[in-house]
Amino acid sequence: MSFRLDQVSLTHANGFVALRGISLAASPGERIAVIGPSGAGKTTLLRLLGAALRPSAGKLSMLGVDPWALSERELRKLRARIGVVHQAPPLPQRQRVVTAVLAGRLGQWPLWKSLASLVYPLDIAGAREVLARLEVGDRLFDRCDRLSGGQLQRVSLARTLYQRPDLILADEPVSALDPTLARQAVRTLLADAGARGATLVASLHAIDLALSEFPRIVGIRDGCIAFDLPAAEVSEPLLRELYAAECPGSAALPTLANTPHFDARPVDVPGASPGACC
Amino acid sequence: MNHTLRRLALKGAVACALISSFAGFALAQENVLRVSAIPDEVPTELQRKFAPLGKYLEKETGMKVSFVPVSDYAAVVESLAIRKLDLVWLGGFTFVQARIRSNGTAIPIVQREEDAHFTSKFVTADPNIKSYADLKGKTFAFGSPSSTSGHLMPRFFLQQAGIRPDKDFRNIAFSGAHDATVAFVAAGKADAGVLNASVWDKLVEAKKVDPAKVRVFATTPPYFDYNWTVRGDLDPALVKKLTEAFLKLDPKNPEHAEIMQLQRASKFIPTKKENYDGIEKAAQSAGLLK
Amino acid sequence: MAEAVALHDPAARQRGTALLLGLAVLWPLLVVADFRPGEIFEIRNLKTVGAFLAGFLPPETGAEFLAYLVRATLETLAIATAGMALAFLLALPLVSLSTRALAAAEIGPGPGYARAQFLHYGLRALLTVLRGIPELVWALLFVRVFGLGPAAGVLALALGYGGMLTKVYSEILESGDTRPARAILEAGGGRLQALFYGLLPGAARELTSYTVYRWECAVRASVVMGFVGAGGLGQLMDQAMKMLNGGEASTILLTFLLLVLAADALSHFLRQQVGAAGTVGRKAGFGVSACAIAGLVLLAVVSSFGALDIHFGALLMRESMGLIGDFAVSFFPPDLSLPWLSRVAYGTLETLAISATGTLLAVLGGFVLAFPASGRYGRLAGQFSRFLLNALRSIPELVWATLTVLSVGLGPFAGVLALALHTTGVLGRLFAETLQNAPPAARDALVDAGARPVVAFLYGTLPEVMPQLLAYTLYRWEMNIRMAAILGFVGAGGLGQLLYFELSLFRYAEACTVIAAMLLLSIVVDAASSEVRRRLR
Repeated sequence: MSFRLDQVSLTHANGFVALRGISLAASPGERIAVIGPSGAGKTTLLRLLGAALRPSAGKLSMLGVDPWALSERELRKLRARIGVVHQAPPLPQRQRVVTAVLAGRLGQWPLWKSLASLVYPLDIAGAREVLARLEVGDRLFDRCDRLSGGQLQRVSLARTLYQRPDLILADEPVSALDPTLARQAVRTLLADAGARGATLVASLHAIDLALSEFPRIVGIRDGCIAFDLPAAEVSEPLLRELYAAECPGSAALPTLANTPHFDARPVDVPGASPGACC
Repeated sequence: MNHTLRRLALKGAVACALISSFAGFALAQENVLRVSAIPDEVPTELQRKFAPLGKYLEKETGMKVSFVPVSDYAAVVESLAIRKLDLVWLGGFTFVQARIRSNGTAIPIVQREEDAHFTSKFVTADPNIKSYADLKGKTFAFGSPSSTSGHLMPRFFLQQAGIRPDKDFRNIAFSGAHDATVAFVAAGKADAGVLNASVWDKLVEAKKVDPAKVRVFATTPPYFDYNWTVRGDLDPALVKKLTEAFLKLDPKNPEHAEIMQLQRASKFIPTKKENYDGIEKAAQSAGLLK
Repeated sequence: MAEAVALHDPAARQRGTALLLGLAVLWPLLVVADFRPGEIFEIRNLKTVGAFLAGFLPPETGAEFLAYLVRATLETLAIATAGMALAFLLALPLVSLSTRALAAAEIGPGPGYARAQFLHYGLRALLTVLRGIPELVWALLFVRVFGLGPAAGVLALALGYGGMLTKVYSEILESGDTRPARAILEAGGGRLQALFYGLLPGAARELTSYTVYRWECAVRASVVMGFVGAGGLGQLMDQAMKMLNGGEASTILLTFLLLVLAADALSHFLRQQVGAAGTVGRKAGFGVSACAIAGLVLLAVVSSFGALDIHFGALLMRESMGLIGDFAVSFFPPDLSLPWLSRVAYGTLETLAISATGTLLAVLGGFVLAFPASGRYGRLAGQFSRFLLNALRSIPELVWATLTVLSVGLGPFAGVLALALHTTGVLGRLFAETLQNAPPAARDALVDAGARPVVAFLYGTLPEVMPQLLAYTLYRWEMNIRMAAILGFVGAGGLGQLLYFELSLFRYAEACTVIAAMLLLSIVVDAASSEVRRRLR
């Protein structure tokens, strides 16, 4: 099992119930798209899987262990095996691209190497290789604040590729990219996961992208799992029901073409996604 | 708005303060003898020492005597020169400075008998220092730069002995006052130091210094030092009264005895400008006076 | 395309050069500053300090001493308040003349254009001189002309802070919306009209807030005035330290701490009041509390002048003016002989070295303390480190110097330590604030990916806060260069020692050269620092 959630609930400190009784499991190498309207709990679910949030109830096992029963050191080791692609790229403005990418392996590197790499980037070739896969190889030595929002998001993706995690969690990974690039980027992620046998869970706004690229689709609404089906079995009525509150009547469902683009900068607090849609 | 209000408030306040201080100045002028002393010891100690002498001078002159405490030697000299002080206790070197800065008008009236053959003591807590020559490469503490017995004359005699303080010492410090010099040496802040013999004797008598720890390793030849000086345009009758008051002091009189003991004087004797010509030459040769 | 990018870091050569250059500059500075950290831990020195610190207990509480202390504390407060009031009065006309936004001539070349330019640059020069010469030097000079007592301290504060207030007031006024003022000028209004109706309404709050903050600094500065004979707490401290009287010293230090914390709290309260005035729910303008505060300020200023008993009348009389003139003339021409210039040059280098080394040490110290102070290691550690920072900050550099001189002996290294201790308190507090306000996203992402907290900080937080930290450091360095120039008064080397010596011997021409060197140094450092900050942006 790559991960298993058993009747997991999560209530935020302010009393908001974000997830209620979720049960979900994935085998190694599975590729899952999580879809659903804004505020349904997609980001919370991913953060829970990334061991960044602690469930208020239920059982959870990540890569074979319960993260909340681990020592600090073991938890760090576990986290090093989980790669997170954030909705807003969490890159310091003044950092150079090469350093930002190499930071992906800080959880695996010994302390001396992490420190030395600050002085002189220790794996320039590695960083260049992953950046090249996302077609931003030429920005290797640029500072992050010189990049466009789309480039920045691809650098953030490159960092996760460089980390080579066993479980990739991607939260709206392509929201700052134009449709062509978005599809390309998602394919790169999928190919990487496939090549290494890693599990990939991505929350996506664009339904068409999710349906065409991912074999398994999980629909989430109001903190519950609405459906968990192979892509081929997800029907229009199911989707209409899922997005009923956000896109009432015959309004268009969110796709790559009509996804509202938001610039990846400035860095936003995760979870505070733009509410407007349709 | 708030700001504007504040502005007005401040303006008013300053206007009030200015008016009241003009008024205050007019009243403050008359019939006060303003006395001060170079701060060769800490100012609070000087004030304590001066209290009975001040009362005595009030009685003798019929004027109110006010003592102005000071922490800068040069400020005393300058204040006398610009007539903000009437009577001051000066060292030999500060007197020479005062004579120059007042265009030769400052008049020395009396000195203690001891001041006619004054000496300085070189002290150290380092067992390896036995002579001037051992001071090379050490840190050394003088008193104030303007002090005669704590700086000028020791520097002069060191130079006579072939020691150039600015080059041969690792570091020169100015402690500011004689008792502070001893404290510096005792605490190891400086390897050696120099101070006036009179203050040294007083500290030893009062057991303020441990002679087992800090010892004298050299003494300078005698020279003229301290005196009481008045500004040149002070009423001659008053100058005469002051001089006589000092000369009248008699250790056999118990009332006088306390004053003389605090001033560390066995007797006051008249003095004259020419007594300090030697100091002036020493200052010139030590490079402290052009 | 990617192949075009080389496999070695193109910035490496530049970074290496910068590093080598930095070391090449720093090394001689460390040598000049007599940097011998081992000295602190030498047994003999530890014993001396230990014995002295042991004397701190119990603090002196004798009635006579406490009476002195209370008087000195009040005197210090009065000097600060009166000095600030005069500085304010001095700044007003200068601000209205030097603020570009208030100059009708700026609108375009007109009949008065050349004259206005001349006036502008003349004022700039005057302000630079006022600010560039440390308050303590002003005080030392004023003690000579106006005689002993608090008048010298008050006037020194008035000049130094007058210059500072003018500069910052102008900056605040110009950084705001200047269009209303321009509209008034274009409509033929005068400078004062433009100031009062165009600029003040928008900037009043910030101006008041800065003024209050500056008063807090003035309290610290007036403490120090005592060291040159201008009364107050500094004079007591000077005596206690000279006599190595630990009990008195500890009581005075505690008083410093309380005084500065109280001034801090009062200033915080006043700034809050100013901030609250005019916000929603309150009527703008003359609220009851605003009137009450203004009344209290007025009362404080009046009673300060009353308590200090300064005879401005005497100062302004023709005779005194003549004396001041003579005194000023005796400084010219400055001594520019080669041997003297070379001594002053060395003193300048020493001062530069003291300020740079002290500031660097403080950056390290402040950085280390900023972590617990920003609340990263729990409440208790946070409170303790914040108290420590406050204590370090509340004791002025010159007072620290009297202590460090005891620890490492007389000389520049004592000055370095003194600067480092005080500046650690200041920078630590600013750094902690910066860390608290740093965006957490980048760091949290790295922690989520398994990075150690230290490494996550270095990769995630540091790049975000670096410019701010550097800006604070440079700003402090500008202040420290002025401080380093006067630490010599208590035996800590540099230009201060030279100046004190020359003034003691009435060699004003030589002293003038030293003061000019101080001025030049502070101008150069200001320019260098603002250039670096501009590049960082």
